[in-house]
Amino acid sequence: MKEFIIFLPLAALYLAFKSTLFASVPMPDLPLIIVFYSAYRKTSIEGVILAFILGYMDDVMSGGIIGASSFSLIIVYMAVRLIALKVHFSTVATRAGGAASAALLKGVLIGMVLRSAGIHVSFLGNVLLITAATGVFAPAFITLFTRLINLVSPAAFKDSAH
Amino acid sequence: MPITERNISSFLKRHQALIVSALLALYSLHLSLTYKKEIPRGAVVYETVSFVIGPVQRAALSAQKAVKGLWTDYVFLVGAAGENTLLKSRILSLENENMRLKDEVLLGKRLQSALEFMDAVDFNSTAARLTGVTSTPWAKTITIDKGASGGLAKDMAVLSASGAIGRIIETASNASTVLLLTDARSDVDVYVERTRIKAVIEGNGEDSLILKYIRIDDDVALGDVVITSGLTGIFPRGIAVGEVVRIEKSRDNFFKYIEVKPKVALKTLEEVIVVTD
Repeated sequence: MKEFIIFLPLAALYLAFKSTLFASVPMPDLPLIIVFYSAYRKTSIEGVILAFILGYMDDVMSGGIIGASSFSLIIVYMAVRLIALKVHFSTVATRAGGAASAALLKGVLIGMVLRSAGIHVSFLGNVLLITAATGVFAPAFITLFTRLINLVSPAAFKDSAH
Repeated sequence: MPITERNISSFLKRHQALIVSALLALYSLHLSLTYKKEIPRGAVVYETVSFVIGPVQRAALSAQKAVKGLWTDYVFLVGAAGENTLLKSRILSLENENMRLKDEVLLGKRLQSALEFMDAVDFNSTAARLTGVTSTPWAKTITIDKGASGGLAKDMAVLSASGAIGRIIETASNASTVLLLTDARSDVDVYVERTRIKAVIEGNGEDSLILKYIRIDDDVALGDVVITSGLTGIFPRGIAVGEVVRIEKSRDNFFKYIEVKPKVALKTLEEVIVVTD
């Protein structure tokens, strides 16, 4: 539940800034970084639902094809979850690489959905730019998320974890 | 091992995240592959999110304008002007005032041209302000600050004084999303103004449009203006769409490949006119 409280307002702010101040700049894909972060930490239904809601919000607000982003983010969640069984995303490099790969996978999946829906556009350049921006900024965002999650976790629970 | 209720329940519990993922992924895929069907989707989410995001978008745009004005009108003057604090603050306040007045004058000019346009045409229309832009290859849309409570509805045409912009695809109470002509999902019936040849213009997901179904022997030249035909019932007849900037033979040797530059410069767009008829 605390993930919803933290990440939904963050995603709403991101969507607001993406459509105004940074409309012409390739922004790091914040909803994807959130999904990547919740996927590599643990498997949870909340994580899956969060991925769906973030994708749905993005689709609705951007006027894109509803379902394309939510589908992609759920698949990304499952893929990262699987990979996290073998790889620990504990260093800056693995986090940057992991988030960039996830962004690339999301781009490919959206491309496949669009093609299946009969829309043919070339967007490899755009996807690569977003992938690069996501990879660069993901470690900083993940550190921020960890701090925010710690902030809202009950103190007693945090103490018992030590 | 016999299949018992306990086994099923333990299987579901163990794989609940996987099962929910699969179900939501299939549901999302279904939504995206059936997007052409006229079923209202995401209305509640759109209403809620636009209620939350709308004020932030407006605040961000105002802040952007203020920072831009401060940069062009003040920061460049700091070196030349600044000997004492009093003068600096005086200049700052004058520049701010000047910037505000300049903005008002520009707004007045834009509104005047919009009003002249609205007076000149024979359909009912209303003006709205742009509050957001989405420009990805798979979605080219803008958000405006009027919605259902302002009388706007899905499939209303959106124009500017210089030409067609797009059509409304989603409305909340106080916001609407407009699908731009350049979006790959957009297609509009048009004429080539000079020769009256009929065609369909589609977005290419970038910043230009593609004029389709023009045969090799049809008379279309560079610089020709393309206007709406009024046949689909969304756009009024005779609204400028764009200008032909590139003509090539297409691979099938039957139709021409024609690229059209939109008449409306979307990067500088601030106000739009919505046809409410």
